[in-house]
Amino acid sequence: MTAVENPASQQEDSPTYRPSPVQRFLPFAIAAVVPFILGSTTENVNFWWKALITVVVLAVVARMAWVWTPRGELTHREDMRLWRTPSDRSWAAVTTFGLLVLPFILASDFTPPMDFPWATWFAVVNLVLIFAMGAAAFNLLVGYSGQISLAHVAFLALGSIVGGIVGVQWSGGNMWVALPAAALAGAVVGAISGLPALRLKHLYLLLATFGFHFVMMLVWREYLQEYFGFVGIRFKGENSPRIASWLHWLPGIDPDDNGEFIITGQFRWYWVLMPITVLSILFMVNVVRTREGRAFAAVRDRDVSASLLGINVARSKLLAFALSSAVVSMSGVLASFYIGSRGEDSFNVQTVLNYAIIIVVGGFSSIQGAIFGSAFFWFLPEWFKWAREELWIVRDIDFLSDYPSEIDLAIKGFLVVIILMFKPDGLAGLWKDVKGWIGRSLARRGP
Amino acid sequence: MLLAFGNFTADPSVNLQLLIGGLALGAIYAVVALGFVLVYKSTDVLNLAHGEFLMLGAYFALTFLISENLNFFLGVFVLLLVMLVFGLLVHYGIMRRMVGQGFFAIVLITLGIATIIRALLLIFYGPTERARLDLLPQGSFEVGGATVRYVDLIIFGVVAACVLLFFLFFKYTRLGLHMRAVADDIEAAAAMGIDPDKVYAMTWAAAMVMAGVGGLLFGHVTGAIDRSIEAIGLRAFPAAVVGGLTSLGGSIVGGLVVGVIEQFANGHLGTKWREPVAFSVMFVVLLVRPTGLWGRKDLERV
Repeated sequence: MTAVENPASQQEDSPTYRPSPVQRFLPFAIAAVVPFILGSTTENVNFWWKALITVVVLAVVARMAWVWTPRGELTHREDMRLWRTPSDRSWAAVTTFGLLVLPFILASDFTPPMDFPWATWFAVVNLVLIFAMGAAAFNLLVGYSGQISLAHVAFLALGSIVGGIVGVQWSGGNMWVALPAAALAGAVVGAISGLPALRLKHLYLLLATFGFHFVMMLVWREYLQEYFGFVGIRFKGENSPRIASWLHWLPGIDPDDNGEFIITGQFRWYWVLMPITVLSILFMVNVVRTREGRAFAAVRDRDVSASLLGINVARSKLLAFALSSAVVSMSGVLASFYIGSRGEDSFNVQTVLNYAIIIVVGGFSSIQGAIFGSAFFWFLPEWFKWAREELWIVRDIDFLSDYPSEIDLAIKGFLVVIILMFKPDGLAGLWKDVKGWIGRSLARRGP
Repeated sequence: MLLAFGNFTADPSVNLQLLIGGLALGAIYAVVALGFVLVYKSTDVLNLAHGEFLMLGAYFALTFLISENLNFFLGVFVLLLVMLVFGLLVHYGIMRRMVGQGFFAIVLITLGIATIIRALLLIFYGPTERARLDLLPQGSFEVGGATVRYVDLIIFGVVAACVLLFFLFFKYTRLGLHMRAVADDIEAAAAMGIDPDKVYAMTWAAAMVMAGVGGLLFGHVTGAIDRSIEAIGLRAFPAAVVGGLTSLGGSIVGGLVVGVIEQFANGHLGTKWREPVAFSVMFVVLLVRPTGLWGRKDLERV
């Protein structure tokens, strides 16, 4: 064999090909230049030149990433990596970039074409972040671990209770103490609520957890009436969360006029919610990759076989309940402080249904689907509102403007039915299909 | 104290009134539970949309009996016919494609159906609440210091008649036999020449008709007809579970037991205890005897 000239021929010769760490890293290092190209404000560089350079750079990056793809059998270690393929890695990079740039776009007074309502979208983005966290935890329990539970909203209420006790009554608006306290309480109560799972399955487990929902609603109402009366808990005003003092040195964090660092406004909330959501979702994605996470799936598929393989089924089930409930309780705390008040009717059966809609539309049993689902759930009313007011033919249909929220509800219901009938893996599955289709068509035309 | 208890009273007439109220509530639960049991028994689907089916029945009863002012029997006939058509629609339009899907996917699709029905009812009937139906005799009589409404007695009679009717139907008719065969083992039944598709369609139609009856009856005892009456579907779950999800007679016994317990919790502990107590009873029954009092026990093979 002669010496290889380029990686492309090398990968055809040898059955397995492994790029060096530098080769893996290089495309991303080059891609990191793109924001700077786009953001450069030099007067004499035309917009179209910037676009052209960006496209060329991205094409080079894509080509490099494609050529330097590991080929052949993956080792177990490689197979278990969080981002396995160049495609995964580039999507992670794009998502990171998008998450970092998004708030600046939303906060700018840029007017998109056709009066797209960006101002309201910022609030929606923040809600999506909170809901994605809760829905991903729901998916971890119901979709991935197969423990059917309708006690989901009970843990949102638990989060509000802990937020009320620890965050409001004890510390007057310290969300940072309330979050770990809620995680702890959620884990303990979640494990208790999971006890029926040791004996019951499917339908009966669903009913038992639904019973837990009603018990928790009783506790919530009693707690409210005992300490707060009918107005509910106020998480704003004097109880507003503040930025932790060890973060004050960061650039861009300035005190208000009265010297306080209160988290208000969508922009500040975004920077609080986004890292928490991203970290907890990464945490759950990682749980799925560990031994415990694989045990969840084994118990879901066949618990008797799993116990024969040496998995402690009871421990695995309770752990799934505890993990999921802890994250849901945390999202309950975040939602309480973000929305600002929680009353008697904040949690009802419709909330349970909303989470069910989110995980079905997004894609059952995939954590990615929870993100898609909650984005869809919160953006649909905005799109629909925009279409009713601005879109050239839709705005003339009176029927649509007469029943806005009802038609939203009907659309969601029809979507749930249609998705479950024709595309059970939801938007996440659709996204996978699109990616696969693009990849295949590129591969067919490629060298 | 966090959980304040109400006053316990030993007054016999109060307790008698609670008992009678509980039996009346239990009869309603039995109507709803019968709908669940019918569907679960032969198609293995946990129908979370049954409360919405019932709401549909109540609103159609409003349309046919109050707005259109049809003759009572003609109106009820039209109502049940329409509900039957809707049942067939649910099966042939949606549930037929879901046969063989995972358990939770089917539960979620019934939630989707529930959402659609709720949205459409809101669109076509509006959010304003309507007065309850007053077509059945409205009076009441006294027994030992407690009032008994005629409506409750009628509901009771109708439920008993329905259970008897379904019992005879399952036992003595050919279609009933087919339904039982499909419920036992769908593949064996199909191999014997039974069309499970038709059987399932009939089941959904029967459940919808039952929901029509339930809506008509519940429309007479609820405070007002609005979108909140769908909650009866969820509140009847304990009744269905206590009786056993596969037992027709169990639904009536479970309904009465849960109704009485709930009414006593309501009277002695306070309204807020109603649902937690009912669901706790369900919880205990689930832990001790998951198939309910008379449910079918399934063996699990590995």
